[in-house]
Amino acid sequence: MLQGAISIISENWLLLLVGQYPNGPLGGIAATLMLSVLGIVLAFPLSVLIALARISRWRLLRAPATALVYLVRGVPLLMIIFWVYFLFPLLLGANVPGFATMVCTLVIYEGAFLSEVVRAGIQSLPAGQMDAARALGHSYPRAMRYVILPQALYNMLPAILSQFISTIKETTLGYVINVPELTFAASQINNRLLTKPFEVFLILALTYYVVCFGLTAAATWLERRIATRRAGPGAAPLAIMETAG
Amino acid sequence: MIRFQDVNKWFGDYRALVDINANVDRGEVVVVCGPSGSGKSTLIRTVNRLEEIRSGAILFEGRNVHAKMSGAELNKLRSRIGFVFQSFNLFPHLSALDNIILSPHRVNGLGRAAARDRAMALLDRVGLANRAHSFPAQLSGGQQQRVAIARALAMEPPAMLFDEPTSALDPEMVGEVLAVIRGLAQDGMTMMCVTHEMSFARDVADRVWFMDAGRILETGTPDAFFGAPQHPRAQRFLSDLRSR
Ligand SMILES: Nc1ncnc2c1ncn2[C@@H]1O[C@H](COP(=O)(O)OP(=O)(O)O)[C@@H](O)[C@H]1O
Ligand SMILES: [Mg+2]
Repeated sequence: MLQGAISIISENWLLLLVGQYPNGPLGGIAATLMLSVLGIVLAFPLSVLIALARISRWRLLRAPATALVYLVRGVPLLMIIFWVYFLFPLLLGANVPGFATMVCTLVIYEGAFLSEVVRAGIQSLPAGQMDAARALGHSYPRAMRYVILPQALYNMLPAILSQFISTIKETTLGYVINVPELTFAASQINNRLLTKPFEVFLILALTYYVVCFGLTAAATWLERRIATRRAGPGAAPLAIMETAG
Repeated sequence: MIRFQDVNKWFGDYRALVDINANVDRGEVVVVCGPSGSGKSTLIRTVNRLEEIRSGAILFEGRNVHAKMSGAELNKLRSRIGFVFQSFNLFPHLSALDNIILSPHRVNGLGRAAARDRAMALLDRVGLANRAHSFPAQLSGGQQQRVAIARALAMEPPAMLFDEPTSALDPEMVGEVLAVIRGLAQDGMTMMCVTHEMSFARDVADRVWFMDAGRILETGTPDAFFGAPQHPRAQRFLSDLRSR
């Protein structure tokens, strides 16, 4: 069986890695990672905006942002994929490729979830930080930009990284709208071989596991490092870098 | 310079400030004392409008801080009133130097180089020139509070407010912070300082205001107030303070 798996990899590694590329669309792990990175990178600024709207004192900003977050959190991701898949082409009057559909979906979905992380990060800072900034004459947006957000985002790095890991796992759902990511590639191989589903999906699972485990380890390391940096007097950053790095 | 006129402040249905009428003259140092929960913090936080009031007016340099005004005007006003917090509230992601540079640079538009020079001079003044590049977490409480004072001074405010600046400090660090505040008083800075440090108040204050349950019950010179307090509550407060 191990031999079977190895031979599957050696015969299909390019497909698993990049899909049909360059003769077709980019696929495989490359597409999975690109979907995840694009999804989270585009979702991030959106999530900051949603979070700021959620804690705004104006109802006009707060209400729709809150509604969006509750809606997205209360609906399975697959539902959102279908909505974007069927609705966007209607609204735009044009065909939307699967890859773009998946990116849009992830941006909406991750944006809503990340916004809760961002909001928690902002609200967990002591009120004295905002007080101090305002007392010095900073406007609310400036206080956010120079004082609150840098601290909140730094504290949130581990949470953002773990959201990224979820995103990688969520890209598998792109399969249902034929986005040629890693799961899609594996299933292509499986359809071709017909007799080796166990080996194929073992390879698939292991690949996801290795990528996600690596990132989880990175998140844990980051979390520890941030905790040590906040340790207080005597905890010189240089010393920490040496011990943690 | 700071004038409270019939100021009333409510937290929900709790009346936190009751008919406050009082004055701080230019160059004057006022020490505010009173039992915990009497409204001292609330009082000085209304001066730069960190707390809103329900009625009355607070004039700073003749201008009502609580009048309707644009955000920009309020920010400008606030930048002219230095505020030092009990818990320092330094920005932990910035070095001591950058804590001080941030506001003159971003609020007043002072160039980075000039802001930096000013910050270094201020750090020198509070005795911390050698810790310019330390982060708050690497500084002792007393050092953090001195940086916080330098940060407030960097806006060149004509008045400073202190909310129990030494209450969060270990006893051995109280002196270094009070020395800095004393220096400011000698330079003629207008100040309101909430503190229970009696010897400091005797040395530095021109007047003492005693607060209880949201009212200013008694005002007087430090000698008069600490020597022979008139109000029974003030007498009890002082005897409690001395027996601690
Ligand atoms: N944000 C707030 N909401 C409700 N009540 C408050 C708030 N801040 C202060 N208070 C109340 O107002 C009173 C005065 O508080 P404070 O000014 O902090 O007193 P002090 O500084 O003299 O100890 C206290 O009873 C306190 O519980
Ligand atoms: Mg107080």
